Amino acid sequence: MAISEQALRNRERWDALADGYQQQHGPQLTVDELVWGQWSIPDAEVGVLGDVAGRTVLELGCGGAQWSVALAKRGACVIGLDNSARQLQHARELVATAGVEVQLVHASAESVPLPDGSFDIVLSDHGALSWGEPGRVVPEIARLLRRGGLLAFNVTSPLVRMCWNDENDSLDTALHRSYFDVYRTEEGEGAATFALRHGEWIRLLRDSAFEVEGLVELRPRTEASTTYGDFVPLDWARRWPAEDLWKARRR
Amino acid sequence: MTLPEHVARNRAAWDGWATDYVEAGERAWAQDEPTWGIWGIPEAEVGMLPPDLAGKDTIELGCGTAYISAWLARRGARPVGIDNSEAQLGTARRLQAEHGLEFALLHGNAEEVPLPDESFDLAISEYGASIWADPYRWLPEAARLLRPGGELVFLVNGTILMLCVPDEEGIAAGDRLLRPYFGMHRFEWPDDESVEFHLPYGEWIRLFRRNGLEVEDLIELRPGEGATTGYPFVTSEWARRWPSEEIWRARKQLDG
Repeated sequence: MAISEQALRNRERWDALADGYQQQHGPQLTVDELVWGQWSIPDAEVGVLGDVAGRTVLELGCGGAQWSVALAKRGACVIGLDNSARQLQHARELVATAGVEVQLVHASAESVPLPDGSFDIVLSDHGALSWGEPGRVVPEIARLLRRGGLLAFNVTSPLVRMCWNDENDSLDTALHRSYFDVYRTEEGEGAATFALRHGEWIRLLRDSAFEVEGLVELRPRTEASTTYGDFVPLDWARRWPAEDLWKARRR
Repeated sequence: MTLPEHVARNRAAWDGWATDYVEAGERAWAQDEPTWGIWGIPEAEVGMLPPDLAGKDTIELGCGTAYISAWLARRGARPVGIDNSEAQLGTARRLQAEHGLEFALLHGNAEEVPLPDESFDLAISEYGASIWADPYRWLPEAARLLRPGGELVFLVNGTILMLCVPDEEGIAAGDRLLRPYFGMHRFEWPDDESVEFHLPYGEWIRLFRRNGLEVEDLIELRPGEGATTGYPFVTSEWARRWPSEEIWRARKQLDG
């Protein structure tokens, strides 16, 4: 299937990053609970997915398929999709080890080779809604979901994008970047991530036949730990939202 | 009846400030085309008002000098304005007489409106109840007052602005986050007795949904280059980079 130039750059980037990423973060991500984001915040705490048993679920940007495996263990019928073949290599190993059934698909979330209306839930945790262009991915998700289906996605907050200090490559408490200019962030070798403003998310979701059901600004507990600590320090994430977990319902 | 403490404080504050807002009220009443916020951005650019207002019952929550209700009345709506400050309503009544526009003005607290359920098609507020009343009280009240399918539209200070504006009066917001986002709700200032309310984005959405409202839009206002304002708390350079004002639109669900 045709893939955009940007999706191709991101694919190459993730093929190169996959081994190191899984080595550094794989163990934290591999838990039986359903957990969101850098701080592994349980879904039960934020009440976004609820009971997934018997649901057909598509994970967009599944990486090593840690989420997909945890969902399958809870009785969901899961497909994990990723743009990187190397990430899916890790995913296959995890699926085999876990002894669960998860179908893995190699494709860009901007054009998914799966039929219309085939899922109850589409989710993405720092996956395709960050590494794909939201304006292309959200309409595709609308196509894939059944009416009444749930979209849940976790993305880096616009505030993190604004407070990122390029000079020393770290997060601080000054606004370095304009809110009106958070759309594209270079991720090296031509790869890029994308972010929308709050109002843009709401408009895109509504224009794509979704109702906005919630925005959970994830806040780690005081004793939280993470393997992503060099990205957002805990004391920052305790005071300001580093991750935005959006919940939308297909009309 | 005893007023909640923040309502009493804001009533006193606004009775004191009312004379400072007479001129702005006169200007706004004289305008044909609505403009919004501290940068005076024209309605044609913003689209804050529903397109067809003819015959609509509207309530302006924290109407002050009631200039929005005047604009709505001229578009064929049947407005009601409620404000916490009798002094502000005094200006509104004088301007009604001067412009020959009559509509009901109530002196009261938008957190407890003495009007029946489902009696309005539009509830609107610009820097009114939207920042001077407690959202956990005024928003459920607005939802109660709306008919199914009715719209709630309100303008507030930008969320990020509220993290960057210094405590001291007269100093413009800078590029530093001065206070935490989590837990933001009630704001008090060292230089006056007033109490403001500002919520995180996610908290507004939760509050809408909990009260049977669907989120329809969030317009993050950005003034044009060289825009000016008489307010000292933000510069146009700041507002060109980060949203100094936000407009929420929500609609009461038809199935209640």
